[in-house]
Amino acid sequence: MSNFYHMPVLPKPDAKKVTINVDGADVEVPEGTNLVEALKTIGIDTPHFCYHQDLPVSGNCRQCMVETDGPRGMGLAIACYTPVRAGMKVATDRSSDKVKQARQAVMEFQLANHPLDCPICDKAGECSLQDNYMAAGRHESRMREDIGKLYKGSPEFRHEDAKGQERGGKHVDLGPTVILDQERCILCDRCVRFMRSVAGEEQLYINQRGDHAFLSTFPGMELKHDYDLNVTDICPVGALTGKHFRFRQRVWNLSKTETIDPFDSLGANITVEHNDGQAWRIMPRRNPEVNKSWISNRTRLEYQKLSKDRLTAGSFQKAEVPLAQAVARAGELVRGARKVAVVASGTLTLEDNAALQALVAGLDKKAELFSGSWAKVGSPDGIAQSGDPVGNRLGLKLLGISENLDELVARAKEFDVLLVAGHDLWALDAQKAKALEAIPERIVLSPWHDATTAKATLSVGVRAWAEVRGTMVNCQGRIQMLNAAPILPSPDLEPVWQVVSSIGKLGWTSELDAYKAAQAGIPALAGINYRGIGSQGRLLEGVVA
Amino acid sequence: MTTLTVTQNFGKGAKDIAVYRKLGGYSTIGQKLFDLSQFEMIDLVQRSGLRGRGGAGFPTGMKWSFVPRGGKPVYLVVNADEGEPGTFKDHVLMQEDPHRLIEGMILCGWALGVRTAYIYVRGEFLPAIETLNAAIKQAYEAGFLGENIQGSGYSLDIYVHRGAGAYICGEETALINSLEGFKGQPRLKPPFPAVSGAWASPTCVNNVETLMALPWIFENGAEAYAAMGTPKSTGTKVFSVSGDVKRPGVYEVPLGTPLMELLESDKYCQGVVGKLKGVIPGGSSSPVLTVEEAAKATMDYEALAALKTMLGSGAVVVFNETRSVVGMLASLTRFYAHESCGQCTPCREGTGYADRILKTVVAGKGRDGDLENMLSLADNFSYTTICPLASADAGPIQNFIGKYRAEFDAVVARNPEHADERVTPAFRPGAFW
Ligand SMILES: Cc1cc2nc3c(=O)[nH]c(=O)nc-3n(C[C@H](O)[C@H](O)[C@H](O)COP(=O)(O)O)c2cc1C
Ligand code: SF4
Ligand code: SF4
Ligand code: FES
Repeated sequence: MSNFYHMPVLPKPDAKKVTINVDGADVEVPEGTNLVEALKTIGIDTPHFCYHQDLPVSGNCRQCMVETDGPRGMGLAIACYTPVRAGMKVATDRSSDKVKQARQAVMEFQLANHPLDCPICDKAGECSLQDNYMAAGRHESRMREDIGKLYKGSPEFRHEDAKGQERGGKHVDLGPTVILDQERCILCDRCVRFMRSVAGEEQLYINQRGDHAFLSTFPGMELKHDYDLNVTDICPVGALTGKHFRFRQRVWNLSKTETIDPFDSLGANITVEHNDGQAWRIMPRRNPEVNKSWISNRTRLEYQKLSKDRLTAGSFQKAEVPLAQAVARAGELVRGARKVAVVASGTLTLEDNAALQALVAGLDKKAELFSGSWAKVGSPDGIAQSGDPVGNRLGLKLLGISENLDELVARAKEFDVLLVAGHDLWALDAQKAKALEAIPERIVLSPWHDATTAKATLSVGVRAWAEVRGTMVNCQGRIQMLNAAPILPSPDLEPVWQVVSSIGKLGWTSELDAYKAAQAGIPALAGINYRGIGSQGRLLEGVVA
Repeated sequence: MTTLTVTQNFGKGAKDIAVYRKLGGYSTIGQKLFDLSQFEMIDLVQRSGLRGRGGAGFPTGMKWSFVPRGGKPVYLVVNADEGEPGTFKDHVLMQEDPHRLIEGMILCGWALGVRTAYIYVRGEFLPAIETLNAAIKQAYEAGFLGENIQGSGYSLDIYVHRGAGAYICGEETALINSLEGFKGQPRLKPPFPAVSGAWASPTCVNNVETLMALPWIFENGAEAYAAMGTPKSTGTKVFSVSGDVKRPGVYEVPLGTPLMELLESDKYCQGVVGKLKGVIPGGSSSPVLTVEEAAKATMDYEALAALKTMLGSGAVVVFNETRSVVGMLASLTRFYAHESCGQCTPCREGTGYADRILKTVVAGKGRDGDLENMLSLADNFSYTTICPLASADAGPIQNFIGKYRAEFDAVVARNPEHADERVTPAFRPGAFW
């Protein structure tokens, strides 16, 4: 609760280094930061619950104890709130029995009233209580069975279990997205701080005091916010779980693919988590310069669309055809056309758009490239979305593709073939899109059955965003990577650039060919390869003032 | 005749400003004060050796000297939350002599350049709140509060803020959170309130009694005050004495007065009722003194620290041989478990856990090892928390059990099965829901 104005000072890559003494050895650490962060830079993990890099420091869990030197000699202090001071002495559990004992003691208190229902808890496998018990606890229980535990919970949820023991609050419905297990809550206050200082709407609070305290929403109110599912990530235990993921998967069975959210031009960094060819959840991936540790509920739930309404084959003249046949037919149509309108898209990667550009260039005067979007542009929410649903809008601009979709509408009659990729034009503005129906052959490349494929004379299923490797440039001018999770609904699906390469006979064999083409068009990309972009993206020089 | 610096107006009807002024009240609020610089005023308090009467005994002048100048507004907050079991002096002080508190606040206000001051009063003290509000109204009418006090150009407003009766809101940063409208939970330190307190502005938090000593010091000089008491514990202190004495009550004596004099003197408590068993010298948080220790004790910060206890808030609780120390400790552990604000894990879970063990023992279900567990838990939560409430619970646990062990063992032994092997929790399939 207190000190919600103290944001932690995190180490900057270019921070000045100072020398401190850790466990008897002099080491160099960044100046100004706290000891949890400083120790991390030299490879020492400090067990903690309440501390979070992107939340104000609360210092309530007391798990992160170290010893530091003060006027009265070495004494215990919490690492998360102790700033680095040049020349200071620090002792961790590696050299100090006092630290070891203090951490073990806190661990024992933490578990004293915890239900220990890991076998049925969704957090098991990624739970700080489990991890810290292994790192800092490993004590024998001193509990007396007949004294029992004091389980946490609101009065209205307290109940007696089969053994006659009074229990607290289980599966409390907090609102549309989140379920709370009050018994498991360790009152670390992270979720409260998130709602207060990140979401900006105080909807959770810790009611009561002492060991009777419990987490809840305000009386008669819900937890309901565009970002509320983030509390399920930062909850160190299984107290807060998302309805979308609860009981679906054991987290240790999931593999992770690092990618970004392509439906917002900030490009929030995420991991798509999957097994057996299916995506089960999306988690935020921390990027201090982009989305910090947060993603919107919209971003988080994008994975659900990956297995719904997928277009896994082609269709021609209302009949389903194999993909290869549809692509071949599209090639014939384009090459045989009198005049082709190709629509590039800011929801596709640089690679895809470079392919569309190359297609138009290869068709000479016969083809014209259009782009733009009819999607509504909102304003930044200050958390993890820019409000612009066209993720790669800046990338398109850098490729020199202009936003002239309305011009295409006006001149539709000039064309006899239309090729659209990465747009659901008829869904966004059916009125304007109607004009395009004047073009007799309409080829649509799309991952989904949608309003636009419905108007197509030829449609080709393609891979969706989570299934491709490629790059986008976010609204800050940062080039970021998308990576392909192995979750294809059909093994035959190809990314847009590959389909376009077949249509235009470009002969590209991997996304690197496409990326090279994009590089040729964007001077700022010179010398930057996929590895150089890395997992945190790379700010392009001089792209955004 | 001992000099009284705080309680001299008791029983004289000084609630009324006319009476208070006739007794010499508000005489310090005049040219002599407003001619002093802030620096001189702080220096005066520093030379008097006055130490905070709220519990920690921090030198008042030194605390004032930490308050930064010329930046954000400086707030004065009077700590009238008085929640420590055994303490009842502040309530009586405010009831008997509210204007002395106001006068002390004006002196402090001038020293620190305070424009707005608050008195944070424990919620249950309704009569005191009424008394204070009436006195403040009178002081406004007489020109001692509000704009341009006595034509000096100095202005001060005082507001009475009613708490909700939480012990933890006596801790100064919890008090500030509560004053700001948040849950009363202590803040991380630093920053200390003197630098960044209420609304992130410099805030001076002082106990009622501390401020009420100021008019006397200003009038009679720092040296006269420092001449009383001991060299390091100067002046007088108001003690709240309760328990097994003939005449419990509020007594002001010079610091350094022997404890037994306070208990036995005809001027004060007039003797112990029954056979003395022990004394809690400074409020429930201070470790208990056995009869032998009590005989040696003098009531000043240093002497009590040498006995490994503390003067605290000056709440002396006396108990005789008819009292069960196990029962006493049980009420203390219940109190601390109930009053823990619940943010720190060790305090939240530990104080409650220790309390439940002791409850089991008191209920005749104690087992060998329970006391050791309690002691070990107390050790574990006494040095790992944000505020000293957890250590305030650990102290009594360690001392009561340590000093009266036989009595605790006897209670454990009431359980015929006390020596049986301990039951360890077993896996209980199906018990989760
Ligand atoms: C748990 C706890 C409770 C406290 N309760 C009170 C109280 O009721 N009254 C009080 O004056 N000080 C109380 N204090 C001490 C204050 O934090 C603070 O030190 C004091 O108000 C400062 O004033 P002083 O310097 O004039 O003593 C308490 C401290 C703690 C840790
Ligand atoms: S619900 Fe989770 S995040 Fe919130 S206070 Fe409890 S343990 Fe912490
Ligand atoms: S020690 Fe106890 S009362 Fe003090 S801040 Fe921590 S939990 Fe609250
Ligand atoms: S992580 Fe430092 S106190 Fe919780």
